[in-house]
Amino acid sequence: MAETEYTTTTPVAMETLWDFVKEMDHWAPFVTGYQHHEKQSETESTWTLKGDVGVLARTLTFRVRITEWNGPERVRFELEGVNEPMTGAGTFTLSRESGGGPAADAGSAPETAAVPAPAPHKGFFARLAERIARLLFRWRHGRVERPGALADATTPAGGDRILTRMTFHLRIDPGGPMAPMINAMVQPMLVPAAEQLAERILAAVEGRPAASENARSVQS
Amino acid sequence: MARAPSGFDLETDVVCCGSGLGAVSAAIAAADLGAEVVILEKAPKLGGVSAFGGGEVFVPANRQMRALGLEDSLEDGRRYFEFLAAGYGSRAHREKLLATLHEAIEYFEDRAGVRWKACQGLPDYYYPDAPGTRASGRYLSVELFPGESLGEWQHRTFLTPIMPMGALHEEMYEWGGLARVTTWNYELLGERITKDLRSFGPGMMGYFLKAALIDRGIPAHPSTPVRELLSDEHGRVVGVRAERDGERFSIRARKGVVVAIGGYDHNREMACMYENMPDWHGVFPDHLHGDHLVFGTEVGAAIASVPPTNLALFYGYHIPGEEAEGKPLYRSSWECGCPHAIWVNRDGRRFCDESFYKDYQPRIRHWDGRRQHQPNLDVFLIFDGNYRERYPLGSFMPGQPLPEGLALEADTPRELAEKLGIDADNFEATLERWNRHAARGEDPDFGKGHFPWSVRLCGDPDYPNPCVGPIDKPPFYGIKLVPVSVGINSHGLAWNLDAQVMHVRGHPIPGLYAVGNSAALLDLGGGYQSGTSNARAITWGYVAGRHAARS
Repeated sequence: MAETEYTTTTPVAMETLWDFVKEMDHWAPFVTGYQHHEKQSETESTWTLKGDVGVLARTLTFRVRITEWNGPERVRFELEGVNEPMTGAGTFTLSRESGGGPAADAGSAPETAAVPAPAPHKGFFARLAERIARLLFRWRHGRVERPGALADATTPAGGDRILTRMTFHLRIDPGGPMAPMINAMVQPMLVPAAEQLAERILAAVEGRPAASENARSVQS
Repeated sequence: MARAPSGFDLETDVVCCGSGLGAVSAAIAAADLGAEVVILEKAPKLGGVSAFGGGEVFVPANRQMRALGLEDSLEDGRRYFEFLAAGYGSRAHREKLLATLHEAIEYFEDRAGVRWKACQGLPDYYYPDAPGTRASGRYLSVELFPGESLGEWQHRTFLTPIMPMGALHEEMYEWGGLARVTTWNYELLGERITKDLRSFGPGMMGYFLKAALIDRGIPAHPSTPVRELLSDEHGRVVGVRAERDGERFSIRARKGVVVAIGGYDHNREMACMYENMPDWHGVFPDHLHGDHLVFGTEVGAAIASVPPTNLALFYGYHIPGEEAEGKPLYRSSWECGCPHAIWVNRDGRRFCDESFYKDYQPRIRHWDGRRQHQPNLDVFLIFDGNYRERYPLGSFMPGQPLPEGLALEADTPRELAEKLGIDADNFEATLERWNRHAARGEDPDFGKGHFPWSVRLCGDPDYPNPCVGPIDKPPFYGIKLVPVSVGINSHGLAWNLDAQVMHVRGHPIPGLYAVGNSAALLDLGGGYQSGTSNARAITWGYVAGRHAARS
């Protein structure tokens, strides 16, 4: 199993963000390796991506079925490979949080607790320790927090500033005898892919260019 | 000829053009004699075709064989190399190759930390038929190389999509070879991939690049192609003009320029002309454009050749949608060596031992002089439901649906023949005869499965003849194959026993060396054996680097 989760925050209102993401045509081209997609119904679609596992890129086609549509808070989906022995699942969650600290997030996995909660006005070494902890956490669990996202959320800005927290979680389960090897090849690719998707969505709704260079720097 | 400018932008002792085995061997050898060296590479990553391949180095009577108690002799190695050469090339070059090979291999083991190991159980191609062959031990490969030890270069070196990442040669054979790919230890491979433990070509180049870049601090510049050689008024090559980000600059090479940038697989016009083939594709990333033949001849270099007939040309295919380094990936077809698979030509007839590419290469080039026709140029891989249940096709496992556009499929042989555009009557007769003999594990026509090397690589041990099985279970499949080269070309720069490039007027060009696949295969002659390309790259790179450093 290869798995990743990416969380970020934006000053854009949750409803505005939801209006954007609820229509897959808006963000489909932001998916790494996107080739095309086709909607069969409100809950089912077929996607074709160019999957890149570092040394080899291959065209992948898979079916996506939405299993929970609970806007504007959460979407759950499952996926199944058409031409590859592969299944998977994911969630896309939005929540409000105030500047006082991260709000409860229904979509977050329990591992979130492993990331040290940031404190306001941290000193250099505290920030360094947090950065190292996040780095370690990312390496171990393929989970990323957008650099600066938590800081944005916790920076006092003249009162309780409401932010929207967006979390994208994706799990891929390759099948067949080669699954352990495919896992090892896919895992390093999932983290930047999830981050890139989230970043591009935010850039679109915030009306700014996508910070693709920043996205790549997290991978390295 | 480009004359050297009055002032150079940069200056060093030795410029190594390329970052494959030949160039890096030369760089290490020169640096160890005190020379200041720089490596210039056209591709955005380092390692060249050496990092993309199998990483076998063919060394008769090597140190590791002795340690394992495997008997061999240099004299038998010499007899085998003469057999391979088939009278072509230069005996003097072969003699010096064999006389220097051990010194070079052991130098890089002892001084550069390359951890060689002998591949046990893998025979010479022509064992046991040819003189001087051995059943095991002559192929050296490397122990697993930790990619992270390359530091900043870890992700700027080529990995290969055509070899199983993280597997060692002997493990691949212990696990049953290509025919038993479903039972390989993928848990172990997954662990090694996660840790970036490299084998095959990437592992071998990892050791060499670490020795050069990390241990010796030799600077390397990817995405920096050499555009021309610079000469002085006496014809000595004194530097290069290279390009980086669209800007050209000159580098003075006080002691020499070593050209080791591979061949011309991706210069289709050059490849078709020199290899005498109407079509050409390459397995490796698209950086082999024959630049050495262009800037070499500009300074008067002679081009030399050996017959292209039986070097290292494969037939293969492109799986729609598969890419490596941003370009369509072509794979050599090894499926033809497995049971339940054969090749036919457009006449619907077999023409070779499909399990032994040394047999099929010259037969593909067969020329029917009466009809001025080459009947075997169009090659079709044929297989059936038996095959699909048991064996992989490229990266697609048994039973996994094949991507659209790769293979044609039919319920009967006749229907398949019609879809492929081959003679249906002949094709039915071919299959009938094949199946009749295959039931007994025989191939009286071409001896498929005769060579132990083929059996080791592709054979299924469950069969009486591990390379032979009937093709009688629908659906029937056919793929039209195309020539797929692995970087070993028949033409290259002419060179002498010091690896100096020869001028068309018969004298060495001072300051210019050619090694690896940029140097004509004068030492190998008319044949090829896996691992000889790497062996000559290491040996002549070692010779060139030392000669340049001492000049």
